[in-house]
Amino acid sequence: MEVFITGAGWITTQGDDLTQVWDKVLAGTPTPVSELPGLEGRAPHTAACIPPKMADAVARHPRLRRASNISLFAAAATVAALRAVGIDSAGPLKNCALVFAATDGGVIYTRKFYEQVVRQGSGSPLLFPETVYNAPASHIAALLGIDGSTYTVVGDAGAGLAALSLAAELLATTPIEHCIVASAQEADWILCEAYHQWRLTTDRSAIEIGSNRGALIADGGAAVVLSRQGPWRLGITPAIPFFRRSEARSSLADALAYLTPRTKPASVVSSANGTFIDRAEQNAVESAFGPLPTIYPKVSLGDPFGAGALMQVIGATEVLRRDNIGPILVPVIGLNEQAGAVIVSYR
Amino acid sequence: MSPTAPSQPANAAIVAAGVVSPLGRGLEATAVALREGRDCVTEVTAFDVATARCHDAGQVPDEWLERLRDSRRTRKLHRASLMMIAAMRELRAQDAGFVPDAVIIGATGGGMTFGEACFRSLAKGGADRRRAAWLANYNPQKPVLDAQEDAGFRAPVSIIANACASGSNAIGHAFQLIRAGRCEAILCGGYDCVSELVFRGFDSLQASTPEKIRPFDAGRTGLVLGEGAGLFALENLEHARARHATILGIVSGYGISTDTHHITQPHPSGIGPRMAMEGALASAGAGAESVDYINAHGTATTFNDATEGLAIAQLFGNRVPVSSTKSMMGHALGGAGAIEAVFSLLAIRDGFLPPNINFTTCDPAWELDIVANHARPATLRRVLSNSFGFGGTNASILIDAAPPALS
Repeated sequence: MEVFITGAGWITTQGDDLTQVWDKVLAGTPTPVSELPGLEGRAPHTAACIPPKMADAVARHPRLRRASNISLFAAAATVAALRAVGIDSAGPLKNCALVFAATDGGVIYTRKFYEQVVRQGSGSPLLFPETVYNAPASHIAALLGIDGSTYTVVGDAGAGLAALSLAAELLATTPIEHCIVASAQEADWILCEAYHQWRLTTDRSAIEIGSNRGALIADGGAAVVLSRQGPWRLGITPAIPFFRRSEARSSLADALAYLTPRTKPASVVSSANGTFIDRAEQNAVESAFGPLPTIYPKVSLGDPFGAGALMQVIGATEVLRRDNIGPILVPVIGLNEQAGAVIVSYR
Repeated sequence: MSPTAPSQPANAAIVAAGVVSPLGRGLEATAVALREGRDCVTEVTAFDVATARCHDAGQVPDEWLERLRDSRRTRKLHRASLMMIAAMRELRAQDAGFVPDAVIIGATGGGMTFGEACFRSLAKGGADRRRAAWLANYNPQKPVLDAQEDAGFRAPVSIIANACASGSNAIGHAFQLIRAGRCEAILCGGYDCVSELVFRGFDSLQASTPEKIRPFDAGRTGLVLGEGAGLFALENLEHARARHATILGIVSGYGISTDTHHITQPHPSGIGPRMAMEGALASAGAGAESVDYINAHGTATTFNDATEGLAIAQLFGNRVPVSSTKSMMGHALGGAGAIEAVFSLLAIRDGFLPPNINFTTCDPAWELDIVANHARPATLRRVLSNSFGFGGTNASILIDAAPPALS
């Protein structure tokens, strides 16, 4: 069964307008960054953050008043995607499923809650529910009145692909008409520190593709609405796991084998983020298709991990909308789990 | 994955299973403990609970897992990975010919205790060389990858984190994919481990109890946490028969619903659980009368049991025996649905109803046939297993006995 993207929305470090943000991506405008203060006695880290007021419109909903940034970003992107399709987000939304993808979940409230536990012996009951991975999905479902299938999938950047696959499977196996796929990421010092321990992030003010100096963790939210008809056809490969970084290239190559020889992409919207991913992706893509024109969104948007994959997909629809060229390849390599790809083409 | 669906829905056969929980390591030990109604909830020793309301949890003994640290690769793994490896090895021992084309696992916490250790180390200050290893084993996907690597699989992974319904969602979605002909064989299930953060979280909500866990009892005072892993090898029935696999049971139905009432409390009408159970029955093309036993979510919180009990009473009356096996081992969160699905399969296989222990007084709000305190012999053809979670996520699955000619 074929699956199509009918609408898209996002909230990024460069704004929330699809056209304006994509212009900045194409111009290679570096993402704005901030310094996140560390735990007592620890050095700060650099991350690409979104001013919370950008999500003010959704934050007025009763369920979202005390919600974490990740929920606000996910909800803001979802409302924007629905607006693009002409669906009223005031709900209730019948015959619609929701799949939310996360890499690190509500890490700010999780850190605050555990900090309270460590320092005071107990944590706030207002914080704990927001630490659960599916809190953003629950809030979005409440916002839109979705009472059927709601899923949250977690993983590295590959979670974005897993969410698209799950949505396609729901469209194929259940009687829904639409499936919203949303994803979001919130930056926090503890998260930067964790990825820093793995030598995967940088505290520089910009990422350098191919440098292996590290990624810039970013806030962000992205959402697409999938249906059985629409302007952009979506082809999703299985995501192939890898057990160590040295296997990332071969995992992506195995995934791309599902596309060749039928599909020759016109260009690539890359997942490169300044880590080992860059070379693995370039080698696998060039081996499969030869050199292709490539856009690097994470230079301008930072890396919001699970949401990054959806942002790449949305970027591919922008490329098609502007240039009407052939299929756009979206390779996705996560930092510690799996690799796969999406191909986006005109109907 | 198959590109097109078949004209007739396929049956999803369980060809192997694996489990580790406080009740036992492996199917046989677990079946014995279930039948005995063994209380496997003990005082928490992994972290300080002196100031908490609840002091107990169902814990998998470390000695069951430490023996799996048998190589350089497994030495630094989180106990969540070891639980998954234990369940996987048991499953593989039953059917070495099973090769999944997808892996769908429910989980909520991953290696959370390693994240906690890292936070405490950072808060304390100074350098600590263990941090990188802790963090490398912290993500929810890591135990699944570890178990796959141990088994020699390399199938696409989906980690479903639908809070306490995750394990049932994973099995249910796998069922949907096989039934639609999109996959032939799927490894599915769930796992979770007790952690301080989650323990303190339920404590902060006053959802956990300082007493014994007493699901569906009028005097219930809350839940205790549990842990473990449960796995099914789920396969297209015809595919399984063609390779002469043993058929242990059939997953025949799946229902999912979302209750948007509140992030931690179900709507008092029971609409969420009822929609999930009705969905499972509808997907099986079956009526309520076909169900012989309900393995309830039954957390023993005031709100869960009130709404689940009401929904069961509305749909089934008091005709169907009900028990919550969480009374024996606590609530394993993202792993609960999968572990309880394995319990349901064992109940079908061995012909008994697992008991709802610590039960003293019927709740007057509904009339249910609670399997109180002692197992009962029974011939089970179909079992309904419920899992409901934070965020209003609800899942129900149906497990059938294998047709005699196949089992």
